[in-house]
Amino acid sequence: MDLSQYAELFLAESREHLTACNQLLLEWEKHPSGLAPVGGLFRAVHTVKGMAATMGYARVTDLAHRMESLLDLLRRGAHPATDELLQLLFRARDALEHAVELSVVGRERELEVAEIVADLDHAASRMAPGGGPHSPGGRATPSTPPRPDSPVELEPAPGRLVQVTLRPEAPLKGGRALLVVKKAQGLGAGGDEALGSGARVEPGAAGVLEGGGRSRHIRVALRRLDGLMDLIGELVTARGRLNQLAAERRDPAIDDLAIQVSRLSSDLQAEIIQARMTPVWQVFDRFPRLVRDLARELGKQVAFRVEGKEIELDRAILDELGDPLMHLLRNAVDHGIEPASERRRRGKQPEGEVVLSAARERASVAITVTDDGRGIDRAKTLERAKRDGVVDPHADTLTHDQLLRVLARPGFSTAETVTSVSGRGVGIDVVMTRLRALGGTIDIRSEPGKGTSFALRLPVTLAIVRAIIASVGSERYALPLTYVAETVEFGTVKTTVVEGREAIVLHDRVVPLVHLRRLLGVTQDAPPPRSPIIVLEMGERRTGVVVDGMLGQQEIVVKGFDAPAGTLPVFSGATIMADGVPALILDAGGLL
Amino acid sequence: MSDAGVVRLLLFRVGTLVCAADAERVREILPRLETTRIPGAPPPVAGLVNVRGTLITVVEGWRALRQPEPPASNGTHHGTTVLLEVGGGRKVLGFTVDEVVDLLALSAEALDRRQALPGIDPTLVRAVGRRAGQLFVVLDTDALLTPILSS
Repeated sequence: MDLSQYAELFLAESREHLTACNQLLLEWEKHPSGLAPVGGLFRAVHTVKGMAATMGYARVTDLAHRMESLLDLLRRGAHPATDELLQLLFRARDALEHAVELSVVGRERELEVAEIVADLDHAASRMAPGGGPHSPGGRATPSTPPRPDSPVELEPAPGRLVQVTLRPEAPLKGGRALLVVKKAQGLGAGGDEALGSGARVEPGAAGVLEGGGRSRHIRVALRRLDGLMDLIGELVTARGRLNQLAAERRDPAIDDLAIQVSRLSSDLQAEIIQARMTPVWQVFDRFPRLVRDLARELGKQVAFRVEGKEIELDRAILDELGDPLMHLLRNAVDHGIEPASERRRRGKQPEGEVVLSAARERASVAITVTDDGRGIDRAKTLERAKRDGVVDPHADTLTHDQLLRVLARPGFSTAETVTSVSGRGVGIDVVMTRLRALGGTIDIRSEPGKGTSFALRLPVTLAIVRAIIASVGSERYALPLTYVAETVEFGTVKTTVVEGREAIVLHDRVVPLVHLRRLLGVTQDAPPPRSPIIVLEMGERRTGVVVDGMLGQQEIVVKGFDAPAGTLPVFSGATIMADGVPALILDAGGLL
Repeated sequence: MSDAGVVRLLLFRVGTLVCAADAERVREILPRLETTRIPGAPPPVAGLVNVRGTLITVVEGWRALRQPEPPASNGTHHGTTVLLEVGGGRKVLGFTVDEVVDLLALSAEALDRRQALPGIDPTLVRAVGRRAGQLFVVLDTDALLTPILSS
C-alpha cells in the first residue's frame, strides 16, 4: 500500500506526541519522584513507534522501541528522575523528532542514531532488574526491534488483551475502530491506549481518530477550510443579490425564501469560522522546553508560566505566531532575566519569571510575553536613537511608542550597541513585520529594574470581520471594526496642528488625521462639508481617518489579492461586496 | 506548446495590434468586468475584478502595449477580459483586449523568431506569425505581466 499520502498525518500526530513528551519530561524534572509522567511518556513513545511501524519507517521504529524499553524499565522499577537520566531522555526525544522529520521527507537513511541508541541501551541495561548488560529484563530486548511490517507489539499489562485487526478492505475502518474502543471502555478497559497504539487502524479511514477515549476529532487540511470559506463568501454575495431581488419583486414567497437563505448562510458561516478556531496551546506547548533549554544554557534560573492556553485563534493566524513568540521569549530569557547573583544583589528572587499569556479583548486576542528582568535601559537607547537620527536630538525621554520604534529598526541593536540591552532589538523587526501581515499590533512596556512586557494584539480571525464600509468619491473601502474606537464628524470637533500634522482634540487627547481622499489620490467630486472621521485605536496610538461617508457596517469575507507593484501599503486584503464588486480593506496598522 | 511542434494560439486585437498568447496559458475568456481601482498601482493596472469569488488583478491591454485608447471605451462594458496564467501558472492575471479574433493551431515553423516590429517593445515579442495575410505578434506574456505584479 502506498503510504506516502499519510506521511503528513503521521508527522502531525507524531509531533503532538513528541510535544507531549516534552511537557511530561519537564513535569518529571520538576517533581523527580513522581511516576505519572513516566507512564505518559511510555504511552506517547509507544504510539509513535506503532505509527512509524505502520508507515514502514524502520529506523524511527527502532529508536522509539529502544526509548520505550528504557521507559518501561523506569516505569516498572519506579526510578526517580536523575539529571543524567532526564538529559538522556530529552536527547532521545529530540533524536526521535529528528528521525520523524527526516523520514517523512524520504531522508531516513541520513539518520545518525548509533550514539543515542547506544546510550539508551546502556542506560536500560543498568536499569534492568538483573543489572547485567545482557539481561535487559522482560521483553524489552533492544537488539530485536519489531519488523516494520509486523503487527505492533502490545504491552503486557494486567487484565485481558484483545487485539482487533481490521482488514484493509473493511469499509468505515475509523468508525469500526471507534465502536470497538467504545465497547472496550464499556467493559472497563483503558481505552486511552487502545486506538493510538494497540489496535492498528489501517490508515484507509477518512479521518484518523485521535487516541481512543478522547473527543472525536478528524483532521482537516487548512486549505479545505479556506475553500469552504471562499464558497461561503460567494454564497453571502449571492444572498445579497437575492435580497435585492426580493426587495424589487415584492413577492412574499421570494421574501420568505430570502430570509431563510440569509439565516442559513449566516449559521453556516459561523460554523465554518468556529471550525477554524484553534486553542493557543497548540503553539504555546512547545515553549516550556525552549525556555528551559535556553535558561540552562545561559546558566539562569527561570520559572516559566503559561496562561490562557484555551483562548482560541484562527488557525491561519496561530500558525504564523510560533516564530515571533519564540523571538520574544528568547529575548526575555537572554536579555531580560538577570543571572541569579545579580538578581540577589538587586533584592529580587534568584529565580526570574517569564510569563506567556493569552487573553480575549473585545474583537481581538492579546498575547503578552512578560519578564521580571532588568528592563530596557532607556537612557542608553535614547542616546543611540539620537545618534541614528530616529528621534529629535533635543528629546529627553522616549515614550513606550518611540522605544518600540527604535527597537524595531532592522538591525538596530546588535551585540556591540547598548550593553545592558544588547541584542534587545534583534528579532523585534521580524516580529513586527509578521504581526503587521496578520493585521495585528505590538506594544511594549518596560520599567528599568522591573522587567519588560510585549503585548501582541491580533484579530481573532482573518477569514471574516465586521467592518465599516466607507465611501471616498465613488469608491468604497472596508475598515475592520477591530480597531475602530469611535466615529465623529468633521467640524464638530476642534482641529489643531501638531508637529506639522492636522489633528483633532478628542477627550483631551490629540488625534492626528489622515485624509483618505489625499492618501488614495481620489480627485473626483468635492468632499462633503461634514466628513465623518473614523477614529482608530491600537494600544496607545490613535488616528482619525477622514472619509466622505459611511455606508454602514457588515460582515466581510477577507480575501487576498496579488497586489501589483507600487500598491499603497495600507491594504490588508479585499472583499466582495453584495453587488459582486470588490472593495479593498484598509489596514488599521498601515494607517496609524 | 505540446504535440511535437504544434502551437495553439489565442489571437486577439488590442488597438491596431493583432496579438497572440499561448493558448495553454489562457485560463478563461470573460466579458469585461467591473473593476475596483487599486491605489498606487501602475497605470496599466485597471484594478481588481471578482471572478466567481476569486479576486483577480486586471491589466488594461491597450495601456500595457502602449496603444491608443479605444474610442468606444467609456471605461466599462467594452471589450473582453482574457485570464492568463503568469509565472508557470502560479498566478492568474486578467488582460483586457478589444476582441478575441481566433484560436489557431499551427506548426512552430510557421512562426518567425522574435523580430522588431514598429510600435511594440521587442522584448515583449516571442515570435511573429501571419494569418490571412496579416501579421500578428506572439506575446511573451510573462515578460509583459510579471513586472506589473512584482511586489
